[in-house]
Amino acid sequence: MAESLPTEFDVVIIGTGLPESILAAACSRTGQRVLHIDSRSYYGGNWASFSFSGLLSWVKEYQQDSDIEEESTVSRQGLIPETEEAIALRKKDETIQHIEVFCYASQDQDTEDNVEEIGALQRNPSSVASTTITELDSACLPEERQSYFTDYEMPANHTQKSDKEISLGITDVEESLEKEKDCGDNTCIHTILGGHKDEDKHTVEDNTGQAKKNRITFSHIVKEGRRFNIDLVSKLLYSQGLLIDLLIKSNVSRYAEFKNVTRILAFREGKVEQVPCSRADVFNSKELTMVEKRMLMKFLTFCLDYEQHPDEYQGFRQCSFSEYLKTKKLTPNLQHFILHSIAMTESSCTIIDGLKATKKFLQCLGRFGNTPFLFPVYGQGEIPQCFCRMCAVFGGIYCLRHKIQCFVVDKESGRCKAIIDHFGQRINAKYFIVEDSYLSEETCSNVHYKQISRAVLITDQSVLKADSDQQISILLVPPAEPGACAVRVTELCSSTMTCMKDTYLVHLTCSSSKTAREDLESVVNKLFTPYAETETNKEEPTKPRLLWALYFNMRDSSGISRSSYNGLPSNVYVCSGPDGGLGNEHAVKQAETLFQEIFPSEEFCPPPPNPEDIIFDGDDKQPEVPGTNNIIMATIDSSEESKNLESPEKHLPH
Amino acid sequence: MSMEDYDFLFKIVLIGNAGVGKTCLVRRFTQGLFPPGQGATIGVDFMIKTVEINGEKVKLQIWDTAGQERFRSITQSYYRSANALILTYDITCEESFRCLPEWLREIEQYASNKVITVLVGNKIDLAERREVSQQRAEEFSEAQDMYYLETSAKESDNVEKLFLDLACRLISEARQNTLVNNVSSPLPGEGKSISYLTCCNFN
Repeated sequence: MAESLPTEFDVVIIGTGLPESILAAACSRTGQRVLHIDSRSYYGGNWASFSFSGLLSWVKEYQQDSDIEEESTVSRQGLIPETEEAIALRKKDETIQHIEVFCYASQDQDTEDNVEEIGALQRNPSSVASTTITELDSACLPEERQSYFTDYEMPANHTQKSDKEISLGITDVEESLEKEKDCGDNTCIHTILGGHKDEDKHTVEDNTGQAKKNRITFSHIVKEGRRFNIDLVSKLLYSQGLLIDLLIKSNVSRYAEFKNVTRILAFREGKVEQVPCSRADVFNSKELTMVEKRMLMKFLTFCLDYEQHPDEYQGFRQCSFSEYLKTKKLTPNLQHFILHSIAMTESSCTIIDGLKATKKFLQCLGRFGNTPFLFPVYGQGEIPQCFCRMCAVFGGIYCLRHKIQCFVVDKESGRCKAIIDHFGQRINAKYFIVEDSYLSEETCSNVHYKQISRAVLITDQSVLKADSDQQISILLVPPAEPGACAVRVTELCSSTMTCMKDTYLVHLTCSSSKTAREDLESVVNKLFTPYAETETNKEEPTKPRLLWALYFNMRDSSGISRSSYNGLPSNVYVCSGPDGGLGNEHAVKQAETLFQEIFPSEEFCPPPPNPEDIIFDGDDKQPEVPGTNNIIMATIDSSEESKNLESPEKHLPH
Repeated sequence: MSMEDYDFLFKIVLIGNAGVGKTCLVRRFTQGLFPPGQGATIGVDFMIKTVEINGEKVKLQIWDTAGQERFRSITQSYYRSANALILTYDITCEESFRCLPEWLREIEQYASNKVITVLVGNKIDLAERREVSQQRAEEFSEAQDMYYLETSAKESDNVEKLFLDLACRLISEARQNTLVNNVSSPLPGEGKSISYLTCCNFN
C-alpha cells in the first residue's frame, strides 16, 4: 500500500454492512474523524452483492477457508505497554455455512475452452500479487479492453427489449444498455471454471444434440456475469419504512435509484397467482367475484384504522390472526391472500400483529407505486455503499482489505484505546464500532445464534407470466407442514440490473431449521424444474427452468443483546449482521440507537448542504497561503434556490 | 418539469490516484480557482457548472472521489450512471500512470459500457519534472480507445477544453441515442430516484 493509514481518529468502524455504514455516515456528518475499514475486498460484508464471477469467488473463498493457514500476524510485542491489554479479533469469517452450488444449464460449450481456462487461472496469481486490487475484482475482467467489443451472439429474441433501461434519473438521455448486453468477454469464464470442480459434479448432463436456439448455457451466464448483482441478503424497502425515510432525510437517496416491486404473488394449491392489493387492483381483478371484492375492500379499510374499532377484534384476543380471518366472513381465497401475501405472517401470529402488519402494508401502498415495496437498482448491496459515500464526502477515510488484529484496552479505565492492524500499526480512537462477525470466539462464547436459510436461483422465466416480462415480484410460500417456516421468494427481472437479459434472479429466504438446501429445496421444486429435464420433454414447460442454484446458511445475529458478549469495553459498540426480515428496519434502528448512545446530543443523519448552494470561502479572493488550511470550508448560501437536488426527479413520469 | 433551464444534464465522474489533481481540475473549471496545498474535499459531493454549447444549455454534474481512491476503496455505486469518466494521472508521477490499468478494470466492471472515458495527464506546468512522456500516454489511450488530453489545473491549460469537448461529445452521443431509441420516455416503473416529490398517496 502506497500510503499508511492516519493513526488518530474519533471513531473507528470495522465492517461495512448496513448498520455500520449508516453509523459511519452519521458520525462523519457530525464532524467526527471516521476511519471505516473492512477486512474484505468488497463493501457490505454479508449485505454485499456480487457479479456472477464475484459470487463464485465468494463461494470459493468459503470453501477454501478451512485450509488457509493462519496468516502470520505482525507481533504485537512492544505496541502494547504494560498498562494495556489486547482483545483479539476473529481471523476468519464464520457466518456462512453449508454452501452448495448446482449448475443445471448446459456446460457443453465450455469443454473446448477448458484447457485454456485452467491456464488462465494460472496466470492470475502473479497479477493478483502485483496489485492490491482484489482477485474478486479482477476475476471477471477482460484482459484487453478491445475484446469487450468482440461480437457475441445472443439468443435471437432479445432485440426488441432494448428500450427497457432504467432512466438515469439525472439525465434525459437514455443510457442504452443494448450494446453491453451483446458484449461478452472470454477471459471472464476462465478463472471461474478452473476453480469450480467441486460444483461440476452436480452438473446435470445435457444432450448436445438439442437445438441451440434460445438456450442459455453456463457460458452465457459466465460471459454476461457482469450483468448480475447478486445479493447475499434478500430484502426490500418498505416505502414508508425507516430506511426510505432515512435515505430521503439524509439525502443519501441521491446515490441510488429504485424500482417498484410490481407484483405481490400468492402460492395456493400448487398455483402462483397475483394478489390484488391496491384499490384499483381489487376492482380490476378477474379472479375475485364481486362479493369477494366488497369483502376484501371492507376488511382492508377496517385494517387501515383498526385501532379506532377495538370492538371489531377485542372479543378475539385469544385467537390467532388466521382464526380471526375465518370469523370475518372472508372466503378461503381472501383469507390466504391477507394472511400470507398482505400481512405476510405465519398462521400462528397474533391478531394484533396481523392487523399491524396489514396496516403497515396498506400504508406503504401507493407512496411510490402499486405495491408497498421498492427495490434498489443494482441490488440491495448498493445501499451500504451509498452511506459510505456520504461518510467519505464528509471526510471519512475508507480502507477495504484491511485486517485488524485486536483492540487495545487500558487496564485501569477498562476503555478501548486503539486497534492494531495486520501491519502492526496502532490506530487510536475514542469510540469503536464493530460488526459482530469480527468478534472472537472467546468474546462470543455465550452467544447463541439463529440462522437464515438462503437460496439464489437463476431461472429462465417468471414464476407467473404476464404481459410484461419485466416484473419484480414477491411471494410468500406458506409452510407445507405446521410448525415449519414460510419461505419468502423474491423474483427480480433484468431491468433491476441484477441479472442478465432473458433470465430472472430468484432469492429464497427462511429462518433455518436445517441446512439451507434441506429447508428450501422442496419450495424450489414446487416452483421450478431443472433445466435439463424439460429439454427432453416435448411439451411447453409450465414451470420456469432452473439454470443455476446456490444454497447457503447465513448467521442471524440480530437478536443478540450486548450483554451476551464477554469482556467488551464500554466504548466498543457492536452491530449485527443482516436479520431474516423483509425490511431493513432492524439495521436502521440499531444504527440510530447506537448513534444516540455515543452522541446523545447530535442529530442523526441530517440533510447535507445542497451541492448547488455551496459557495466556497475565498471564492472571490485569491486562495490563502499554502498549507494554512487543508480543508475546503463549505458554507451554504441560503439565498439560492434549494430545490435543485430534486432535479433528477423532474425527468420522471408521474 | 420544465422549470429547469437546461437542455442536457450529464454526470461526469473523476477517478485516478490520490494527489493527481482531480479536485483541482474540478475547482478550476467550476470556479476558476486553483487551491494550492489543498488536501481533502469535505462536504462536497459534486459540483455543478452549466455551460452553453451551440446555443444549448448543458448542465454538468461533476463528481469527485471523496477521498475513497486513497486506499483503493471506491464504492461501485460511484460509477453507476456516469455519462463520462475522467481518468486522471499526474505527468510527474510514473506511479499514477502505472495504476491506470487498475482503474480501467474498475471502470470495466462497474461503469456502463456507454460511458465516455477521457484520459487526462495533469500538471503540465511542472514539465521539468515530467516522468510520463506524451507519446506513451498517447499510445496507451489509443490502445484503450480513450480520448487523451494534457492539462494544467494550475495554469488553467486545457481545463475548459477538457470539459467543453466532453460536453460536446456527450451531446452528440445523446442525440444518437435518442435517434436510435426514438421512444425515449422512460416506462412507468423504471428506476427512479426517491424524494418527497415522487411520493403520491394511498387512495
